[in-house]
Amino acid sequence: MPDAILKAADITKEFGGITALKDLSFAVQEGAIHAIIGPNGAGKTTLINVLSGFLPPDTGTISLNNQVITGQKSHDIAKLGIGRTFQNAEIFGNMSVLENVMVGRHTRTSAGLFSSALTLPRARREEKQIRDHALSCLETVGLLDLAAVAAASIPIGNQRLLEVARALASEPRVLLLDEPAAGLNTQETRMLAELIRSIQQRGITVIIVEHDMELVMDISDDILVINFGEKIAVGSPAEIQANPEVIAVYLGEEG
Amino acid sequence: MRFVRNYSSLLLFVLLLAGIPFFVEDPYFLSILVFVGIYSIATMGLNLLMGYAGQISLGHAAFYAIGAYTSGILTSQYNVNFFLSGGCAIALAVVVAYIIGIPCLRLKGHYLAMGTLAFGEIVYIFLNATVDFTGGPSGIAAIPEFRVGEFFFDSDLKFYILVWCIFILLFVVTRNIVHSRMGRALRSLHGSEQAASAMGVNVADLKVKVFVLSAAYAALAGVLYAHFVTFISPQTSDLMFSIRLVTMVVVGGMGHLWGCVLGSAILTVLPEMLSYFEDYDMLIYGCILLGMVMFLPGGLTRGAEMLYAKCVKKAGKRGDA
Repeated sequence: MPDAILKAADITKEFGGITALKDLSFAVQEGAIHAIIGPNGAGKTTLINVLSGFLPPDTGTISLNNQVITGQKSHDIAKLGIGRTFQNAEIFGNMSVLENVMVGRHTRTSAGLFSSALTLPRARREEKQIRDHALSCLETVGLLDLAAVAAASIPIGNQRLLEVARALASEPRVLLLDEPAAGLNTQETRMLAELIRSIQQRGITVIIVEHDMELVMDISDDILVINFGEKIAVGSPAEIQANPEVIAVYLGEEG
Repeated sequence: MRFVRNYSSLLLFVLLLAGIPFFVEDPYFLSILVFVGIYSIATMGLNLLMGYAGQISLGHAAFYAIGAYTSGILTSQYNVNFFLSGGCAIALAVVVAYIIGIPCLRLKGHYLAMGTLAFGEIVYIFLNATVDFTGGPSGIAAIPEFRVGEFFFDSDLKFYILVWCIFILLFVVTRNIVHSRMGRALRSLHGSEQAASAMGVNVADLKVKVFVLSAAYAALAGVLYAHFVTFISPQTSDLMFSIRLVTMVVVGGMGHLWGCVLGSAILTVLPEMLSYFEDYDMLIYGCILLGMVMFLPGGLTRGAEMLYAKCVKKAGKRGDA
């Protein structure tokens, strides 16, 4: 497929004899919203960790834009354009909301210890750009009012949005969202769906791991279903909903 | 104007420092303030490591010792120029910190504390054992006083000015770092290493960098100490001193630059004042520290901030009524 931005081929990952991912292959189309679903323990978060470089796969290759990125460190992969959020909202609790997002600019800026220490004009200009860009990201997710607030003190729903804003600040080409709707109420989830669509409209490819099926079916272009680390099915929301194997996995084997 | 606003607290502090010598006649008191300055420099570096990046070190006395001994030996035995000896001292500390930091900073929490503690003990034993080189347990005496050309820093007042000028310079530099891209990256390590890594922060590399930087601060403080006291022995930089530095950071306020001055001042002045109680001084000292950590876990600076916020709030309420 020429227009796949992210490709995974034969990914296997074991943890002490337990196979979390087994010969998993899939491709994500550029500009799509691609959901990964599966029962608890299916290996979804492991997959996100492998794609973002937090875990090296035992075998297999991952390529971003036809460039093999397997084995690269997570911070290098971030630089290459894969942003991510975490299942349990890993915000920087010791910083303000704005500062959290400003950290997101890290890969797109370059001021080092030395130029920062002397506040060289270049560092000062860059600092202003970081701030402006971070504010615009906060505006995108609707947290601009909370910019100066301590990040640890905002509710979980906002923390998830903050994580998205922080990831957006790094201008990723692919954004991995790990259960962004967990802990959100219905209205917040609806707003999240809007937000994800607007991110897609910016040309960012979104990969989302989510348990909220209504949300997944609503926003996804493609869905990958995995169970016990293996691919069960892949297709459009309509195809997935009609797939007997998927139904069996979700409802039990009798069906 | 922006300069005044950004540096208002620093300007006030400079005025205070400049005023003190006019009111204080007692050279003993001035020498205590010199020590406060020296410790403030060391704790400022340690605060970057502990308060900002969230990594503990129980071995910073070793870098202090490396600074003091290197400059002490070079100037007293080899007649090396002060700037060169100071530079060598800091450079050596930087190299050692780099070599130690790479394996040590892979450790976390208690393990990192143990690792750095072990390093500190190794340096302490080394200083005691290499008698020909460091004078062993009896240390090195007759270290020359600091001088620039023909100008000798031979009084407490002159050294007071020197130390605090260096402090202020470093304070400005450190403050810039803290409020920069790199400063935020440091604090992000404290917040969540995982998320920092996902934002492109090279976690392992940055930890080593800040460790090296904080070692340089400690070494500089050690250099100043050696040329102020003109005598050093391994006792000046034992494990207790490492712990004292950590305590200064914690009592002053982790992650707050002014905390290093407050913490250093309290932990230097308090024991002097408590010597009045003679045998009970350590007991009272311990109780005071325990009380501070229990009731002001954020340190004195946070406590002061909270108090200030309360006062403002009260004043605001009164204004409304």
